[in-house]
Amino acid sequence: MIGKLFDLLGIYITALVLILLGMLISDEFLTAQNQLSILNAIALLGMTSVGMTFITYSGNMADLSIPSIMAFSGIMAVAFLSLGLIPALLIGLISGMAIGAMNGWVVGRFNANPILWTLAVSFFMEGFMRFTWSNNQVYPDVPGTAGDSFVGLFRLKVGPVPLIVIVMFLLFCAGHVVLTWTRFGAMTRLVGSSRQASWVSGVRVRRIILLNFLLASFCASVAGMFITSMNKLGVFYLGKGYDFKSVTAVVLGGVMLSGGKGNMLGVLGGVLVMGLLSNILTFMGVNTFQQDIVTGSIFITVVGLHQLRLRSQGRDHA
Amino acid sequence: MKADPDNVLRMEGMTKAFHSTLAVDHVDFHVRAGEIHALMGENGAGKSTLMKILAGAFHDYGGRIFIQGREIHLHSPIEAKLHGIGMVFQELSLAHPISIMENILVGRLPRHFGIFLDQKALFREAKRCLEQVGLDLDPSIPVSAISQHEAQLVEIAKVLGNLPCILVLDEPTSALSTQEVKRLFDILLQLKRAGLSIIYISHHLHEVFEIADRVTVLRDGKNMGTWNVKDVTPDHVVQKMVGQSIQDFHTEKKKPGNILLSAKDLTRWGFFHRISFQLRKGEILGVAGLSGAGRTELARSICGLDPLDAGSLLLDGEKLDHASCAAKADKGLLYLTEDRKNNGLFLRLPVSQNLLSTLLARGNRALGKGAVQETLKALDVVCSSSEAEAGTLSGGNQQKVLLGKCLLCKPKVLVLDEPSRGVDIQAKYRIHEAILDLAEKGASVLLLSSDLPELSRLSHRILVMRNGHKTCEMEKGGFQEAEILLAMNREAGP
Repeated sequence: MIGKLFDLLGIYITALVLILLGMLISDEFLTAQNQLSILNAIALLGMTSVGMTFITYSGNMADLSIPSIMAFSGIMAVAFLSLGLIPALLIGLISGMAIGAMNGWVVGRFNANPILWTLAVSFFMEGFMRFTWSNNQVYPDVPGTAGDSFVGLFRLKVGPVPLIVIVMFLLFCAGHVVLTWTRFGAMTRLVGSSRQASWVSGVRVRRIILLNFLLASFCASVAGMFITSMNKLGVFYLGKGYDFKSVTAVVLGGVMLSGGKGNMLGVLGGVLVMGLLSNILTFMGVNTFQQDIVTGSIFITVVGLHQLRLRSQGRDHA
Repeated sequence: MKADPDNVLRMEGMTKAFHSTLAVDHVDFHVRAGEIHALMGENGAGKSTLMKILAGAFHDYGGRIFIQGREIHLHSPIEAKLHGIGMVFQELSLAHPISIMENILVGRLPRHFGIFLDQKALFREAKRCLEQVGLDLDPSIPVSAISQHEAQLVEIAKVLGNLPCILVLDEPTSALSTQEVKRLFDILLQLKRAGLSIIYISHHLHEVFEIADRVTVLRDGKNMGTWNVKDVTPDHVVQKMVGQSIQDFHTEKKKPGNILLSAKDLTRWGFFHRISFQLRKGEILGVAGLSGAGRTELARSICGLDPLDAGSLLLDGEKLDHASCAAKADKGLLYLTEDRKNNGLFLRLPVSQNLLSTLLARGNRALGKGAVQETLKALDVVCSSSEAEAGTLSGGNQQKVLLGKCLLCKPKVLVLDEPSRGVDIQAKYRIHEAILDLAEKGASVLLLSSDLPELSRLSHRILVMRNGHKTCEMEKGGFQEAEILLAMNREAGP
């Protein structure tokens, strides 16, 4: 029990250490403005990570089609802006979730390798989007449509807090409730721990997997709306990198890559750590490409450490 | 330490702890040259852990190991292999899709110019290894094409190929039929005559008394003594294993009620054909058959894990031929798998969640900790707490958890596939009691087992299968094991 608490605390202790480090590096670090900008910067990653948690937790490792879901839902929303803002957003969400439903169905029904399948889907979707929109970008700010309010979504604030930060926290709360307190969450844990054993125990495995992919695509679609709004254009390459960054946050947050173990609060910690780290590195003058190197290294280190720990307990086979 | 020609292997003061529990506690264990040394003990007594140390699975054991008088340190499986220790585990380590010869010679494949596989030498060498264990197989066919029994012998051939001085066999007969066991014993005796030392782990007393020269008993991680088999009686050994004498087992069977499950002409092409039977309320129907008779396949199809090609299955008058596993479980038809590690238990989840898993999938969340504790108590599960990971439990206790998981759902029909395979005598006793109790309460049980005493003790009737066909159904009354055995080997009647 104490070990469990420490697992969860570990990531928050890391976050605390990073905050102290940030305070040492720059006086501006602890200003409200900088803190808000960190939250702002991690909001999208937070949303996709909530979705990715469901994938990893259910034993499907990672959904690599998350970037293409983000891009596609955004493009679709922009394309239908003439219908008004709300219908356009709904259409965006539904199109993104359609991809998730397909992923979940195929992985559940045919036992497809989730990594390879979603990789193929993302490749397909990139081609599909480039072909359908003739390799062009679509712009929402056409006068006389709901474009202005769409572009404003990303910049909307409730009091001092940006809407996207609120949405991220709402998704985390909802995700936490679903994962820990519902029957669906408990069944997901069973499926994530052993798909075979849950099937033999009479769990409707296909349905659970489908729902998990659907949830992931929902989160990715919401993030897709915002990223499109942020860029003021819809195009196939939006969301690039969010697949890997999300898995890193999820793993950093203590969700086991083989599934069945972890916690949404831990993932929130993982996302925070990644945001803090990136912020501090920026203060130190480290550029984006170098930051990617750091992200990759973190992933390798965390997974490696985890494996070492399992081995020391003699459980690396499990 | 001076050289000791008599003992090939000396393990002195072996100790290994998991977390805070001592799995092996200062055990001395000696094996002489050219003997078959049986290692006995209940589940969790430390046999497997002791042998895993010998296999080089741990790097943090205490104690000293001498092979032929020389002290060695075993920290990896490769070191163990180099020191002449050959392990044949309960779960075979063969790669099923590739050929027998590649399996046997893996790690030392003969090559031309160091790169290209020398197919001819490979074939020849594999053939030679197979002959050692009395197998006349084409070494180029894949392992997936041979039977469990043959795979076991192939595994032994593979280990012998590394020229070990000590061969360890962990429950080698658990999946074998009686004749296959006999054949295995002949080979073991032959190997012994050739000077090999064999450590033989088994739960079966009669096997040990048939084949072993000496027997060592472990209990709770401690060595209870080593004896010449000639000098002790089975009762004595059992006494040492359990620490107390076991009660005699007798069963009072109630008369079964109405028909609950009726199967007609169940067929899955290539696996089993036209199997019909009826199962009454409160009845235990045993299913006997050699390995490969199609019992497990029948059970899996009945429970919806595999398809049924033809025939009809009625539960309480409701047609369930093509329902999914989950739908059948909803109706109260549950399956207890023979393969608890891969598709029975969630090894990484706590015992409590394992117990509640099937129930949870039925939508019932009302039962909680109380029910878990009750089940653990009723089945005498030994675990540090209900939150311990299921994978840390010993085999017998895992099997009890697996059964408990089904019992918590209050099944109408429970299909048990080898419910007590490889568990110690007391766990078996508990499991049997639970099965009888379940039937007493009005559930029907389909009991698949290779353990004939178990079948004859528990069943009201016994259905005998051979080669995917039903050969006969034996009615109530004292079954003679010999009679069942004969039926299992008989050709299907007209």
